[in-house]
Amino acid sequence: MKKLIIATLAFLPLLSIGQVDRSIIPSSGAATLINIKDSEIFKTDNGITVILSENHKIPSVSFQLSLGADPILEGPKAGVSNVMGDLVMSGTAKLTKDELDNQIDYIGAYLSASSGGMYLSVMTRFRDKGLALMSDVLQNASFPESEFDRIVKQFESGLKSAKSEPSQMANNANAKVNYDAMHPFSETMTEESLKSIKLEDVKQLYKLIYVPEGSYLVIVGDITKEEAKAAVDKYFTSWTGGKAYKGAPLYSKPASGSQVAFVSKTGAVQSVINVNIPMDVAPGDPDQIGLTVLNQVFGGSGFGTRLMQNLREDKAFTYGCYARQNIDEHGSLLTISGNFRNDVTDSAITEILYEIQKITTELAGEEELETTKAAMAGSFARSLESPQTIARFARNIEKYGLDKDYYKNYLKTLAAVNKDDVLRLAKKYMSAENVNIVVVGNDEVAAKLKAFDSDGKILKLDAFGNAVKEKKTADISADQLIENYVYATTQTTSMKKAIKKLKKIKSYSRTTELSAAQIPFPLKMSEVWIKPNTEGSKLEGQGMVLQKSYFDGNAGGTTSMQTGSKALTEEEVTAQKKSFGIIPEMNYATSGMKYEMVGIEVVEDKDMYVLSSTDGKKTQLDYFDKVTYLKMKSIITNTEDGEVRSAEYDFGNYSMQGGLMSYGTISMAIGPMTLEGKVKSFEVNGKIELNTFK
Amino acid sequence: MKKIFCLGALTLLSVSSFSQKKVDFVEYDLPNGLHVILHQEKSTPIVAVSILYHVGSKNEKVGRTGFAHFFEHLLFEGSQNIERGEYDKLVEGNGGTLNANTSNDRTFYYEILPSNQLELGLWLESERLLHAKVENIGIETQRSVVKEEKRQRVDNQPYASFITEAFKRMFVDHPYNWVPIGSMEDLDAAQEEDYVNFYKTFYVPSNATLSIAGDLDIEQTKKWIDKYFASIPSGQAINLVRDYENMTNDEFVAAYGVELSVLDGQEYNNPKSAEARKLLAKYAAMPTSIARPPNYTGKLTKVIRDTVYDNIQLPALFITYNFPNQTDKDFCALEMMNEILSGGSSSRMNKSIVERKEMAVAAFSAPFGMEVGGIGILGAISANGVDLTELQKAIDDEIVKMQNELVTQEEFEKIRNKMESDLIDMNSRVAGIAENLADNHVYYGSAGRTNTMLEGYMKVTREDIQRVAKKYFTQDARLILIYLPKEN
Repeated sequence: MKKLIIATLAFLPLLSIGQVDRSIIPSSGAATLINIKDSEIFKTDNGITVILSENHKIPSVSFQLSLGADPILEGPKAGVSNVMGDLVMSGTAKLTKDELDNQIDYIGAYLSASSGGMYLSVMTRFRDKGLALMSDVLQNASFPESEFDRIVKQFESGLKSAKSEPSQMANNANAKVNYDAMHPFSETMTEESLKSIKLEDVKQLYKLIYVPEGSYLVIVGDITKEEAKAAVDKYFTSWTGGKAYKGAPLYSKPASGSQVAFVSKTGAVQSVINVNIPMDVAPGDPDQIGLTVLNQVFGGSGFGTRLMQNLREDKAFTYGCYARQNIDEHGSLLTISGNFRNDVTDSAITEILYEIQKITTELAGEEELETTKAAMAGSFARSLESPQTIARFARNIEKYGLDKDYYKNYLKTLAAVNKDDVLRLAKKYMSAENVNIVVVGNDEVAAKLKAFDSDGKILKLDAFGNAVKEKKTADISADQLIENYVYATTQTTSMKKAIKKLKKIKSYSRTTELSAAQIPFPLKMSEVWIKPNTEGSKLEGQGMVLQKSYFDGNAGGTTSMQTGSKALTEEEVTAQKKSFGIIPEMNYATSGMKYEMVGIEVVEDKDMYVLSSTDGKKTQLDYFDKVTYLKMKSIITNTEDGEVRSAEYDFGNYSMQGGLMSYGTISMAIGPMTLEGKVKSFEVNGKIELNTFK
Repeated sequence: MKKIFCLGALTLLSVSSFSQKKVDFVEYDLPNGLHVILHQEKSTPIVAVSILYHVGSKNEKVGRTGFAHFFEHLLFEGSQNIERGEYDKLVEGNGGTLNANTSNDRTFYYEILPSNQLELGLWLESERLLHAKVENIGIETQRSVVKEEKRQRVDNQPYASFITEAFKRMFVDHPYNWVPIGSMEDLDAAQEEDYVNFYKTFYVPSNATLSIAGDLDIEQTKKWIDKYFASIPSGQAINLVRDYENMTNDEFVAAYGVELSVLDGQEYNNPKSAEARKLLAKYAAMPTSIARPPNYTGKLTKVIRDTVYDNIQLPALFITYNFPNQTDKDFCALEMMNEILSGGSSSRMNKSIVERKEMAVAAFSAPFGMEVGGIGILGAISANGVDLTELQKAIDDEIVKMQNELVTQEEFEKIRNKMESDLIDMNSRVAGIAENLADNHVYYGSAGRTNTMLEGYMKVTREDIQRVAKKYFTQDARLILIYLPKEN
């Protein structure tokens, strides 16, 4: 029996307090009349369509300008429009950025710009001042060099973080799988494309896009028609420019069969899944309102949708799973998305496809549909509180040639959508057999995705959506690689000579100075090794030992400032024992380590052999230069309690030290931090105090 | 659902009598002590129904922190007449939306509905007030949801713990020591009697303000309020009803000395039996007493310097000063000084520290004014490789400048315009108006302050700003928190 906390055992439905029967849910009053006022529309000689929605509720007014250019293919300079958009507000011919910022703030206004247009919100009494600033930026943005450099730097760090941001990676992959290469929506900014963007490109694009022809100026708020006309006359009719850019009609690429694209994110504990269905529908299509109902039943907002009920409430695969329709004149797309823990990645896709299958073959429930429509009607009514909504309606009517009563009749049209319509639209626009699936996740989940791809060939993409170069098969075996690595390290030509040389080395110690952008002081790392398999390492900063570890051949442990001391577990000791010696790879064959040759991969234009070794919870990938056989990179992945941690080490600047080829620089990417290290000393057979590492 | 506000007073209130239209309202008390505020605004056919309960994290006991906010989640679970899970559905299925939030000082619930569903909203809120019902399964579910909320909003957000860390050190031996999200261990420790006592103490009409704004008919609304709220008994009689509904006969006899059958389920408020009438009258006359934590007086008198290790990439600095209560006469001047320091891209901290010196990627200043205490926090996230000592000096320089020189006439005009613009925006929606009216009634004893708020700011002079800069930004009594990246 359920135990009730505030109410222990409810038993009295009869309770009647003050003549009120509280068990009766109040019925709704008479339906409210939704009154959408007509907006005023007029055109200027220089080609601007002005839409005015008067509303004197509060003493402020907004001006939203949307430019008329079609999307432009940017090619090798992909992302130039983003840079331009961020730079428009950096000053004008008359005002520096500081002056501009100051004048906007002085009147308590908000003014912003992007590659799509501008937006001003200002108190009524400062309307003219605000418009003067907007008009100045619109026509005379100055694009100073120094601001260009600053913004480019910002994009550089943005791109860096995009490489570890799974939703950004998924967006980039979506761009590639749903649109043809000649569609501007398929373009993504990369580190290379950013490098090729010059200030001159930005200025040219501004000139091309910031033109009055074909633009919409939506005015909302505390302003009369006469005032609006005068304001437009004064601030927008002097604006000149060429024709608005017109491209060929654009569409999303229809899916024929299903395609899976996988983006690898080492260490991910969740997979980002996007199931995309390109749709052949444009804004203003008679199907649009019905499609919105369909989407809300299927996976729109709230907890009650099919997707949420199945994947969250029933299966608990995720915190949230939603379907989003993006109906755009340049190509429409339905995207179903969510984050799912690694082990249910394939099951989640199966369930999403099941729900698509179901909604395209079975009628929706009566109650489900009615509740959905009621919620949508309420949401429509609430949206009308914002005058911006009214203006958006007017713009859509004008821009997409909708019936002039389209929004006035919205609730009627909505009420008329029935189960048959929903099924008809689902069949027309959705199919479980024609989907573009994007998964961003840990490599382990990739293998299970083949089944969802019609031809079984998974597309592998990088963080920016570009195809990953596949590994080539290696021409030598793992053991041959290790042999060559030993020769390279010892600078000998036979195993016998190498072993002889290594025998003389009883111990070594290396100190490295590390610095990271995020840490204001330098760190010192000390590493020691004593024959045959005693090791220690220590990290110090500002006179404190931040972290240390040791292994004496049989036991060991780590101590860190955050977590305190911890002895190595039995499993860790076993693993440690398999990886010993000054060149641990030499002992793999006899120590029981699992290792294999993965193949040849191109890293920064160099061919490298990739060797993988696995022991217990640890997997290591080592990269060896195909020409010199020196180790250039290691990626170490540890799985502990379901949490995956990975670290990437890059080695460089090799030289002979203590008779061995040793690296002079090391770069360690651990989590969000990258530490750059310079080797300060490398000593062989010196005196070592292991105790200082315990 | 239901978000949490750590800072009651960052939400500024009100509007102006300058260019703002006056917010007309009527207000009255029901005999049971419920305060009612009604504002009619007919431009859109929607209505916002809200109840503010004057209980927040400062009413929690040590060992039960986070309880007020947790309780807010529980009160969406249902009532004697609303099954579990139905509360949300009734609102959303009728075209509405709903939410709630909890601050240090109060808990605020609201629905925004199509205006023809106003009666439904009143019934829902009256059910929540009279006899909410919470089952164990709901408690377990909401406990997990609150934990996820904390992970998402605090634990997993870089730097987000700075508010918790500052409050912990600035308020000693006072319930502002912790923030509304509280401690998850405390939530796990909660017992059945905690729930019952919390509800019986704080969720009573005399501790609540019903504020409604939107497309409503005042007379009809009053009738519905009478129907659903005036019928809720006064004083301890409300808890008598709750016990009547929940207790077994034995429990009831043990608590009240009479049988359940003495009361009349059909005519609860007007029983025929004299004994029942006497019982109701006796408990109705017993007021609910609520302990109100006193003004915080133990202000910091020295410099404390502490380091916090967080999952961040760039080190940061947060400097906290003693502030007065939000109702203090100096508070408007402090808010305006704050605008000069960090409001907008032309503010002093942004121009100097972020853009010119490029010492920080972001810099801010925020006043935390609450009912019985306050603090002000200045913070900055350092740019790559910038020394924190230098960064601190740059922030301190801005304070010193405020103390030594009057703000320029131009800056002064700028923030006066900014305050006006902000206040206009805040009352552009009916939900915002309902909340402002309720807040002003509860904290300032005057819903009408909604219409005079701007005057408060307009009275502040440049000299006032310099004076409060000297008075509150004391270099010898402040908390300096240093945020450094955790080792991986």
